[in-house]
Amino acid sequence: MKFTLLLTLALSGISVAWAAPLGIYQHGTVVRMRMGDCMIAHGGFMKAFGPPQAAVVEENCPEYTLVTDKVVFLIVGKSSNQLVPLAEVIDFRFHNKELAVRVDDARKESKFAIKEMTLRSEWEHIQRHIEDQLNDSPHRGVDTSLALRSRE
Amino acid sequence: MLAHWHIRLALLALFTLPSVLAAEEASDASDVPTYRSSVSEVRVTFFATDESNHPVAALTKSDFAVVDNERVVRNFRSFMHTDETALDVVALVDLSGSVAPRFRVSMSDVLQLVAREQSILDDNIAVLSFGGTSGGAVGGLHPAILCSSGCRDSDSMSRLLAVKSGGTTPLFDALIFGADFISHHRRAGVRPVLILFSDGDDTISMHSPPEALEAVLAAGALIYSVDMGTSGNRTSGSRFLRQVSEATGGRYFSLRDGAATVLNAVLEDLRASYVVTYDLPSHQVGSHSLRLLPTHNLNLTFHSRNTYYYEPSGH
Repeated sequence: MKFTLLLTLALSGISVAWAAPLGIYQHGTVVRMRMGDCMIAHGGFMKAFGPPQAAVVEENCPEYTLVTDKVVFLIVGKSSNQLVPLAEVIDFRFHNKELAVRVDDARKESKFAIKEMTLRSEWEHIQRHIEDQLNDSPHRGVDTSLALRSRE
Repeated sequence: MLAHWHIRLALLALFTLPSVLAAEEASDASDVPTYRSSVSEVRVTFFATDESNHPVAALTKSDFAVVDNERVVRNFRSFMHTDETALDVVALVDLSGSVAPRFRVSMSDVLQLVAREQSILDDNIAVLSFGGTSGGAVGGLHPAILCSSGCRDSDSMSRLLAVKSGGTTPLFDALIFGADFISHHRRAGVRPVLILFSDGDDTISMHSPPEALEAVLAAGALIYSVDMGTSGNRTSGSRFLRQVSEATGGRYFSLRDGAATVLNAVLEDLRASYVVTYDLPSHQVGSHSLRLLPTHNLNLTFHSRNTYYYEPSGH
């Protein structure tokens, strides 16, 4: 059991170490961050249909807008404290329908659920529209996340 | 040619100051062209702690980004050490019945704080209380000033030693009272710190938790809370203490940590504090959420107030 765990850790470490030199990482910039609903339902069926829990704490998860050359991703962390390093450029790759972000200082990857993908040209068009709205009426709040979601 | 500087201080801001600058305004001769430009700057005071919860003394501006109303800001106008060099400490002590078993410990901590002459000038420390009884008279609903500017003299010490616990807990009202006290004693270059000894539970306040937090933010004070509860840190009272501490850019401690630890943290945080300024990313009127996050070292935690209020010139 212990051996299996060590082997798994070693292999995952090697895969992260090899990923960078092999150039499999893509690059992008996080331009927005907000706390939103978590995508993963903890407890599944039992939570939904079982008896009510005494103290259910609503957890928020960080949601990031990651802009790349062609595509803009909306990615969501799996817990409230799962952070993306907010450097100018971050490295990421796809891994089992998730987006694995490289965390340099920790020499590891952090995996995020992909909530949405939008072509960058379309995303920029939406952003311009939002900016125009804001400039027209600075007193009215605009939920910029809504614009992205309305495309679904 | 007359230049006007219109500086709108945000209602909630002292550590974070959006300001509006209107320049190049021609005031006479209607036929002279008028050029207007406006620049808004946000100013945030903060410090960072590492994985061991120790303040980080050497930060660079590439170590963090600001998330202002969801927008990530990396281009800063300036980044420097804070110009605050001294502390104005207000100890706000819960004397209500709910903390009676621990109240002697907290008062002992308060007396230790007051006695730290080398850290805080006598004029810069005050002790306020809420709930409890003092010299036989019920303290009850109204918070009281136990001492202010001269807490180390014998009369003040006697007063501090004479307090007794009991009664209801007007915590939120007391926070507003403390914020008001701080606002009236505010001085340039001095960081106002409110050290709150409480279990975080309120039983009778006229005001709500958001009103209390708003008042403390408006006073520009950092809350360092010392949790007097005994049921672990998962209670609603403990959560409240954590929330107000984080919201103001302060920290949360347990009563077990002791006065020396808390005061040392307050002092170290002051020494390790920085000020960053940047262009207002959105001219959306109202409250802006604020968060500082690491750019590469995810073990760093940044402490700053978590909101400011933007109101443009002329409103």
